[in-house]
Amino acid sequence: METVLSIHNLTKRYGRITAVKDLSLDVQRGNVFGILGPNGSGKTTTLGILLDVINRTSGEFSWFGEPPTKDMRKRIGAILETPIFYPYLSAAKNLEIVAEIKGASKDNIDPVLKTVELYKRRDDKFRTYSLGMKQRLSIASALNCAPEVMILDEPTNGQDPQGIAEIRELIKKIASDGKTIILASHLLDEVQKVCTHFCVLKQGVLLYSGSVDEIGKGAISVEVTAETDIEKLLKEWNGATEVKSEESNFIVKLVEGKTASDLNKYLFEQGRVASHLVTQKKSLEKQFLELLAESEHA
Amino acid sequence: MEFFKWLDKLGDGIKEFNPMKIPVLHFPDIWQNTTYVYTFLKIFLAIIIVISISNEFSYKTVRQNIIDGMSRLDFLKSKLATILLLSLGSSLLVFITCLLTGIIYTSDNEASDMFIGVEFVGAYFIDLFGFLVFAFLMTVLLKRSALTIFILLIYRLIEAILIANLPESVEFIGEYFPLQAMSNMIEVPFPKYAFQEIKDYVVMPFVWVSLAWIGLFVYAIYAKLKKSDL
Repeated sequence: METVLSIHNLTKRYGRITAVKDLSLDVQRGNVFGILGPNGSGKTTTLGILLDVINRTSGEFSWFGEPPTKDMRKRIGAILETPIFYPYLSAAKNLEIVAEIKGASKDNIDPVLKTVELYKRRDDKFRTYSLGMKQRLSIASALNCAPEVMILDEPTNGQDPQGIAEIRELIKKIASDGKTIILASHLLDEVQKVCTHFCVLKQGVLLYSGSVDEIGKGAISVEVTAETDIEKLLKEWNGATEVKSEESNFIVKLVEGKTASDLNKYLFEQGRVASHLVTQKKSLEKQFLELLAESEHA
Repeated sequence: MEFFKWLDKLGDGIKEFNPMKIPVLHFPDIWQNTTYVYTFLKIFLAIIIVISISNEFSYKTVRQNIIDGMSRLDFLKSKLATILLLSLGSSLLVFITCLLTGIIYTSDNEASDMFIGVEFVGAYFIDLFGFLVFAFLMTVLLKRSALTIFILLIYRLIEAILIANLPESVEFIGEYFPLQAMSNMIEVPFPKYAFQEIKDYVVMPFVWVSLAWIGLFVYAIYAKLKKSDL
């Protein structure tokens, strides 16, 4: 697999504060890579450095296996925080400027504006747009230039449900073309839904980097209820490592390799029937909080 | 010189001296007179430049443009191109006004004499371009438009105060301060109408000093842009 982005020991200091500390990462082509972290963990600073708007203190990074230049950035589409355009120019004019900088064709501007339903407003000044429309215009801009890599920083921040859905559609559309997406967010649910890989930053330090699929691995927990009392039976079963009572349910942590069907079979053999049986998915949120908690103890 | 010719013509009629009829708008004097006066109007053009550049920072469009694939050098070049265009346009306007006004007021026109002293338009161009580049530098340093315009308005005063307070041994460097050097290219023409000697030519050493300052300003803008997080 081809490495699109490679970061080595990247560090950024603001006076005494270290915003990014010794960060090393690799992003492969076709990944949807989530950068997670609480507020102020260095996500935006990292993206700013990668896009050359923030100067690094030390460290290296390369796009497409080559040192960063402005021509590399032309192959990357980025929406950082809020959409930025010239407020006193029309939508069409703004898209022309972006296309000019990126060296992209200007013929697709009208179709792209139709796609995001801004065609009727194309000659209105950008400052008259609502937040949702501004967001749609930046989507239009990204679509028009068809970048190989898309960088999104808190793309759904302050968006209404429609805006969030549109961003998600964009991510899916770009990802389905086999393109690479780097997504910084603190919305874990969002990341779990769309990402293939993720990393966790805290105060500029990389805590974890891996694939989203790996989260589900390891011992699983099952939520179970029966008409009759089964607590004793569950505790006796050699497939369970831990049994907790939670409201009307029992949470059974299974031995690695065992699944909910093993539990169901066991109960049936004991002459009991489960009325409720759910495998608890280990969520990214849980993983994330665990990682943060671990780093606090360390 | 047109003024003396005029005085000569008056001859005995000198008692009828009318200051309104002094030939300030005749060739070749008009070139120096007009360009000298016009250099006081450059602040209005500087305001346009300051607003155009500070907008790029306050709307963060410079940041977005760099993210999209511009380099900081491209930004510098594009703004310098704007400044150059504005300065050339303004110089062209000054040239045309001088030429037309001169043709209207000068009675004994000879095509060969009309362009004597036209190099003052060139000096005007350097003066204006230098001031606008200086405005660019101040905007990049201060970022806020209102503050920058205020500083530009009072900057000549600051420079004058500095020059006045220079110790006697280094007093001569006052003439080489940026805006002082630029204004030294075109000397105040009007004392000649009070029979004082003036330099009625573009003062070349200060042209070179001004160009050096412009080069230094451009480099300072580049260094500041390169170093700053946008």
